[in-house]
Amino acid sequence: MGRMSFVLRRLVLLVPTAVGVTIITFFMVHLIPGNPAVTILGQRANPSTVAALDKQLGLNQPLIEQYWLFIDRLFHGNLGQSLYYQVPVSSLITSHLPPTLWLLCYAAVLGVAISVPLATLAASRKDAVRDHVIRVVPLLGLGLPAFWFGLILQTWLGTKLRLFPVTGYGQGFTGHLHSMFLPALTVAVALCPVLIRSLRASMLGVLGAEFVTTARAKGVPAPRLLVRHVLRNAVIPAVTVLGINIGYLIGGTLIVEQVFAIPGLGSLMINAIFERDFTVIQSVALVYGVLVVLVNLLTDVAYVALDPRVRFDA
Amino acid sequence: MRHRPLLTTALTAGCALLALAGCGSSASSSAGGATSSSSASAGAPVTGGNLVFANPQDAQSLDESTVFDNNSIWIIEQITQPLFTVTSNGKGVMPWLATGYTVSKNQLAYTITLRNGVKFSNGTPMTSKDVQFTLEQTMAAAQGWGYIDSAIKSVTAPSPDTVVVNLKYKWAPILADLALFANGVVPDNYGGKTAAAFYQAPIGTGPFKFDYWHKGSGLKLIKNTNYWQSGKPYLDSVTWTDVPNDNTRQLQVTSGQAQIDQYPAWSTVSALKSTPNVALSLFPSTETTYLAFNEKVAPFQDVNVRRAISYAIDRSALVKAVLFGNGQAANSIFPPQLPYYDPNSGGLQYSVADAKAALAKSSVPKGFTTTLLLPSGNSDYATIATIVQSELKPLGINVQIQQQDPNTANENFQSGKYDMYFSLWTMDIPDPDELATFALDPTAGSKSFFTFYNNSTVVKAVHAAEVTTDTAARQADYNTAQSQAAQDAFMAFLYYSPYQYVESSNVHGFLVTPLGNYHMEDVWLSPGS
Amino acid sequence: MSAVSADPAPAPAPVPPPAVTRVRARRARWYRQPTLMTGLVLLAVIVFMCYGASLLTSFNPDTQNLEQPLLGLGQAGHLLGTDQEGRDTWARLLYGGQVDLRVAFIAVILPFILGTILGSLAGYFGGWADTVIMRIIDIVVAFPFFVLVIALVFVLGTGEKSIYIAITAIGWVSYARITRGEITVAKRQEYVLAAQSGGLSSLRIIGRHLLPNVVTQSIVYAMSDIVQDIIAIVTLSYLGLGIQPPTPDWGTMISAGQNFLTTQWQLTTIPGIAVVITGLALSLIGDGLADLLRTGGS
Repeated sequence: MGRMSFVLRRLVLLVPTAVGVTIITFFMVHLIPGNPAVTILGQRANPSTVAALDKQLGLNQPLIEQYWLFIDRLFHGNLGQSLYYQVPVSSLITSHLPPTLWLLCYAAVLGVAISVPLATLAASRKDAVRDHVIRVVPLLGLGLPAFWFGLILQTWLGTKLRLFPVTGYGQGFTGHLHSMFLPALTVAVALCPVLIRSLRASMLGVLGAEFVTTARAKGVPAPRLLVRHVLRNAVIPAVTVLGINIGYLIGGTLIVEQVFAIPGLGSLMINAIFERDFTVIQSVALVYGVLVVLVNLLTDVAYVALDPRVRFDA
Repeated sequence: MRHRPLLTTALTAGCALLALAGCGSSASSSAGGATSSSSASAGAPVTGGNLVFANPQDAQSLDESTVFDNNSIWIIEQITQPLFTVTSNGKGVMPWLATGYTVSKNQLAYTITLRNGVKFSNGTPMTSKDVQFTLEQTMAAAQGWGYIDSAIKSVTAPSPDTVVVNLKYKWAPILADLALFANGVVPDNYGGKTAAAFYQAPIGTGPFKFDYWHKGSGLKLIKNTNYWQSGKPYLDSVTWTDVPNDNTRQLQVTSGQAQIDQYPAWSTVSALKSTPNVALSLFPSTETTYLAFNEKVAPFQDVNVRRAISYAIDRSALVKAVLFGNGQAANSIFPPQLPYYDPNSGGLQYSVADAKAALAKSSVPKGFTTTLLLPSGNSDYATIATIVQSELKPLGINVQIQQQDPNTANENFQSGKYDMYFSLWTMDIPDPDELATFALDPTAGSKSFFTFYNNSTVVKAVHAAEVTTDTAARQADYNTAQSQAAQDAFMAFLYYSPYQYVESSNVHGFLVTPLGNYHMEDVWLSPGS
Repeated sequence: MSAVSADPAPAPAPVPPPAVTRVRARRARWYRQPTLMTGLVLLAVIVFMCYGASLLTSFNPDTQNLEQPLLGLGQAGHLLGTDQEGRDTWARLLYGGQVDLRVAFIAVILPFILGTILGSLAGYFGGWADTVIMRIIDIVVAFPFFVLVIALVFVLGTGEKSIYIAITAIGWVSYARITRGEITVAKRQEYVLAAQSGGLSSLRIIGRHLLPNVVTQSIVYAMSDIVQDIIAIVTLSYLGLGIQPPTPDWGTMISAGQNFLTTQWQLTTIPGIAVVITGLALSLIGDGLADLLRTGGS
């Protein structure tokens, strides 16, 4: 089976997954007790005002009909109106997507920037003291609640030392770099343990391989050996690990966005849940679902692109 | 997120500056450049500066005829202005875009004179046609604020600076109604746009005009250079941001990213007092917190049970634990800032002996088990709940705390699916009738604040006070209502709390009225922080 | 959810000798693994401290003292000071640990069982069972973890039961994947083919022969899963949707103390450190077990 058919096959699989995601979100969201009309009207809500607003928002129709309406709109590229703001959901999503993407990419870059040197240091001297230290310390990162770590960074590096803004997305490229550093670091710290371990393991694997022993015998200097030969081969499984974890992290940024007041998809989602803004919840869940599947697909493709030996057996 | 009653008006109040407004001039107009000191002591207002206002919740819409949420309302008030406005102490009404009025003999027609030289932010002069259009639009908003203008039969504009409001029947509160934010003057025919398009970026005569709104992120207003109060506004712009996390908002102010924090958590107040560069402001308010009992659920129909619980709660302990001392125990259904408040109405206070005696007389002398419903994510309520729980335990009353997300909890409260629930009230108009009807009248849509309390003496007193304008008679009626409600302990009145705001020390002129709204045209920033 | 810690494609186990002998051989070696031992000892210390709370402190975690809120370290006999309502922080830390550990350990069992069963079915029988289960897995995985959990907690109400249901509904997926992957490979082994031709029922083959060898990978994963569960529970409590007051728990402590980070820093910092250290212990155990698996059987 060739590459193209692999990619196509995966893209086709995207469809039932997406449908499944929409069904589950739609019905689950509507099972949640509470009514957006109540949020919008607040203390002014009484049975008659709520009923009137329900009718206006189309909430009094049977669920199945509302679901078909949602799917129908979807095929026309229309994600519906936010019940809270009364503006198109697609505009809310387009404005909130960039900060989340920034956060994810920045976190991935920081994660890699921290993990690669550490893993290299560890693998180059297996079982030495520094190897043990580098293996154990990141384990702390596994048990680290993101919101707690974010709070600590925010308070000490942000407020006390004033090194970074405590919240927000910033303006302009350098502004983003500055404002998003702390949140990206918070997310990266969850990535590092896994990346370091995986990189180290695969580097050790490669270091034991024949071609490396040959190169050493030929007198290739150690740093060049590491970078040119070892790293390049070791990076392949790490890419897979990174890809899988980005999928998890897409959801994990929700809390970090709350703590750092980043106007991304996560904040939009959490606010929408509290406000019972069904249309926004459905659409954002769909966007998340598509993002995760796309990232997984990209990971698979990248894996194959990097390692020509791998074939597309399902 | 907090719950605030959404019957809010935009009765904008100024402070001493209202007097100056009447004279049409105010403090120095062109004072650019630095003042002498950068600390909290004032000096002459400085023009310029951009202020960031951190709110726990985003606004919802800028359509003044339909919106109900406070944050939206207080922002709209910076853009459009009504003919009259509430005085700074929240107890009366005064001219704003109007300069005066006369009433016809039969009290059915009000002839209102408009202020000269008022322009919309796009430079167009305001005339009576704009006022007529505004009122007619609001009257037509059936789903929104239309009911507030329901006494109006018609509005005419006989000359560019006169408007006549014709009433269907005699209606004393008409000026208060005209002072509602929903009657803020907008351009005739929305300046040619549709209503929906207009309210995406509304235009008014207020000190600021719309710049942008990034939903969930920030809403920015910039200075209206055509504003009629000369020299104002001082600020170049105000940006309201949406930051639900209490701690994050506080960090923003202490690190200089924001200048005003709305409703910081009470627990941070003591730390803030010793933090340099910030100031805590506690504005007198009409805000009251209650513990509501559902009389449709046993044993809360028994007055002795309610009295026992009310006696068992140590209100000063609550004020200390929740408000860190910044409040006072409540002794009436009405707050002290409200006209006709009676300090002698006898709301029950802490007395363990009385609590035991009352419970002994009740239908469940050995105690009982019940549930206290809470909206989640609110640490104040969580604290009160645990304190109340531990205070009721010795009586044999076992309280189970149930947290639900705010939307669900609110819905259950309003549909009577609860045992006990915390509720909060803030006045929207300077008259007790709003609260009295909402809380004490079981036939009103709110069913006695959803407690189903029904005492005919109280109901009679409330209705009597509605129809008379004799202040002595009204005072007598409201005294009866307050005392009886206190004795019946239909709710436990917990405490009165001020509006708490945190400001950077370079913010001056920020004032919040007892009704909760503020005037950004009076605010200025001294340079440096 | 935090990162996946198991290798994405674990190497299939070599042809296993009969189950019993292998287990015995393994037991002889486990206490020689430093990582595993360190983790076990650390966990034992934590569990002892939490469940032995009454030995370590005379304070009750629920007793309020509104006269003395926010005391500092060591004041008035409070080792770690008091919180906003005057409750002793050390006591709340220890008793709260009981709650969090208990809930996290229990929360891992149901997904483990459910996931292992579904994964075995998918791996052994293949075909449409496999396709259906894999599609369901794809859909569940496409959801942001916290979105599903928050929504489920809304639907079911707050409290422990909802946490178990929510975590089970989402957590079984990893175990299913691991089990399926292992069984797909292991079922081709000779001894399985022999058992099949010998007429043993599928259930017996799966239960008696395949699972015992395959389940160790899941156990390794379970260690990191417990860590993720602790973080999930703590995060839910931080949002007000987890453990209800007045039951102490590390998440509520962090949430309540965050406003005091610059004055009474221990209120928020110490419970967070407790979570991290517990996570460390469990991760060491998981790593140690994984090491054992890799080198075991020789």
